[in-house]
Amino acid sequence: MTSKTEAPQPRRWKKSQFRVHSRPTHWSAEDTPIPARHDQLQARRWRRATQGPNDVAPPDAKFAKYNVETEVPTYDAEAYEQHLTHADWTKEDTDHLFATYRDCNGKWPVVADHYASDRQRSMEELKARFYGISATLLSLRTPITSMTGTEFDLYNALEKFEPAKEAARKRLAEGHMQRRQDEVDEETVLLSELQRIMLHQATLDSEREDLRRRLDHPQANSNSYPYATSQSLTQLWQQLLAADRLKKNQRLRPTGNSAYDFGGTPTSARPHNSNAGLPDAGSRRTTLPSATTPQSALPVDLSKAELSRYGVVVGQDKLPSGVTFASDRLSKPRVAKSTLQTDKIAAILTHAGVPDLVPLPTPAVIESFEALMGKVHTLLDLRKFAEKEEQELRVRLAEAS
Amino acid sequence: MPAQTSKRVRNTQLRRHFLIGNEAHVLPHPSFPSPPPDGHTKGWKVYVRPLPNGPDMTTWLKKVQFKLHHTYTDASRMIEAPGPFEVTETGYGEFGVEIRLYFAPESGEKAVYREHYLVLAPYGSDEQKARQSRENAVVAERLETIEFNEPTLDFFRAMTGEEQFTWLKVVKKGKGKGKKAEMVFGSEVEPTAQLPERPVGGLEGGGGGLGAGGAWSRVYERQVVAQLAQSGASLEQALEHEKREMDSRRKKMEELGLAIATK
Repeated sequence: MTSKTEAPQPRRWKKSQFRVHSRPTHWSAEDTPIPARHDQLQARRWRRATQGPNDVAPPDAKFAKYNVETEVPTYDAEAYEQHLTHADWTKEDTDHLFATYRDCNGKWPVVADHYASDRQRSMEELKARFYGISATLLSLRTPITSMTGTEFDLYNALEKFEPAKEAARKRLAEGHMQRRQDEVDEETVLLSELQRIMLHQATLDSEREDLRRRLDHPQANSNSYPYATSQSLTQLWQQLLAADRLKKNQRLRPTGNSAYDFGGTPTSARPHNSNAGLPDAGSRRTTLPSATTPQSALPVDLSKAELSRYGVVVGQDKLPSGVTFASDRLSKPRVAKSTLQTDKIAAILTHAGVPDLVPLPTPAVIESFEALMGKVHTLLDLRKFAEKEEQELRVRLAEAS
Repeated sequence: MPAQTSKRVRNTQLRRHFLIGNEAHVLPHPSFPSPPPDGHTKGWKVYVRPLPNGPDMTTWLKKVQFKLHHTYTDASRMIEAPGPFEVTETGYGEFGVEIRLYFAPESGEKAVYREHYLVLAPYGSDEQKARQSRENAVVAERLETIEFNEPTLDFFRAMTGEEQFTWLKVVKKGKGKGKKAEMVFGSEVEPTAQLPERPVGGLEGGGGGLGAGGAWSRVYERQVVAQLAQSGASLEQALEHEKREMDSRRKKMEELGLAIATK
């Protein structure tokens, strides 16, 4: 409209720009309810009497998606009596907590502020009560066994809430926020010091590791000269001697020392299988006790993470030989020597709700199953004892009468 | 001197999880020939499988023999590595399949029998049954953990090699010129011989399994442990009950003893 060179001119209104093109329409004021409010508040709104094609939606429809209700678990009086009673809480207090929670849309600071009772309760106490009830209701609705993964995670999280720990955490955070400047400075200095030490530690550790590796080179595997110890030399001598005896023209003469010539069974009679290697390995280990550490017992050097990644378990004592299946440890204890006893065990397990087939033989499961079986056996013993006692009681009763 | 290969790694155990199970469908079903043989109503497949995202099975498992019911023609089926170790058949009845596992020669272990009872009909809770018949797929499998106790040296080396995980790798195309295509793991989680933390591939309860949770994971493990703990608590109650009974009996006994003595 204006160029920079010309002197500014007074702007004139352009008439055509602001002319209203549409014809005036009829508007009416109506009382409309507000759906988000529970009291019957009516708002008076101006609304076009005839709806045009490009009319905006009424505001209550537009904002309806924000009318979210928080999900609050519900319970009735009977459920409360059966599962939810608490020494510290009356039903009224609990009801009040749930109502406040619903009113405050589950915002805990607000709930704690609004919750008014004759007993002073902290936010953690309120939370603990609320989460406890939620977890109980959740497990009542779907038993733990048939929960899906997400449900179980939620249940676990609710179950594991510890009010004391939570309160301590908040106290700590608050203290942390209100530190003085010099304390902050001191902490930074200390932290940097620690970091320096840790950095140094890594190099120190690697150096130490290096040294250890140099000292502890693999004795057993990459031994180019296998007859290093006197034991193995003796063994070799015996082997050669035994081989020589089978020949017609013997070229070797026994040394005359029976310790060398007949060290136990002749080596040629020893089976050349896996067992033959074991005493040899054992003797070598005993001769070099300082050089072998438990780690070097493994032929491949593996870190802890790698051990678990490859499913290697080290340091097991009294291993059975050959191949075993972990699932057998879940099925074999169920079978006793007699069928009667087996049936009894099965009955107890069914009564306790243990499935016939536990499909997951991991160490944790096996451990808890073994604990369970221990209880079953104690119960069986007790029952057997009870039978005997009852018999005796009957005899005595007959005697007394 | 005995050969070094037969030396064993002492006090050490190698653990591998794998699955034994079957899946079954009501015929007609697209993956089975139609029309089915006379009287056959179900199509099924029995298998021995590694865990999804686990190490390769063929490192230790060289062949598997499935012994079917003797009415099948050619009843014992031998499947050799690289597998897949599975047998697909049609039939009408359930029976126990004898599964014989043959191990790698360097392990020096004998073949081992396992048994799997075919499950063809829907099972479990009503809800599970409904889902199984809706999807026309019944999956019954269990996790097995094989333990090689004190493995031989060679076998130990094979079982701790990175090559076991190469079967999970997929080719990732290099971007731009000159960049080579590289092999990467298809899954986000690094494969391991341990149970995964959560079900792999987002199969929430989709794996079927014998329990309700289904997919094989640590979450499921915790569920099973929690369930066992519950059973333990109920046993504990029973024990308490017995103990109280015993006390009351003892009291009665004493009373009776007194009564007899005074008589």
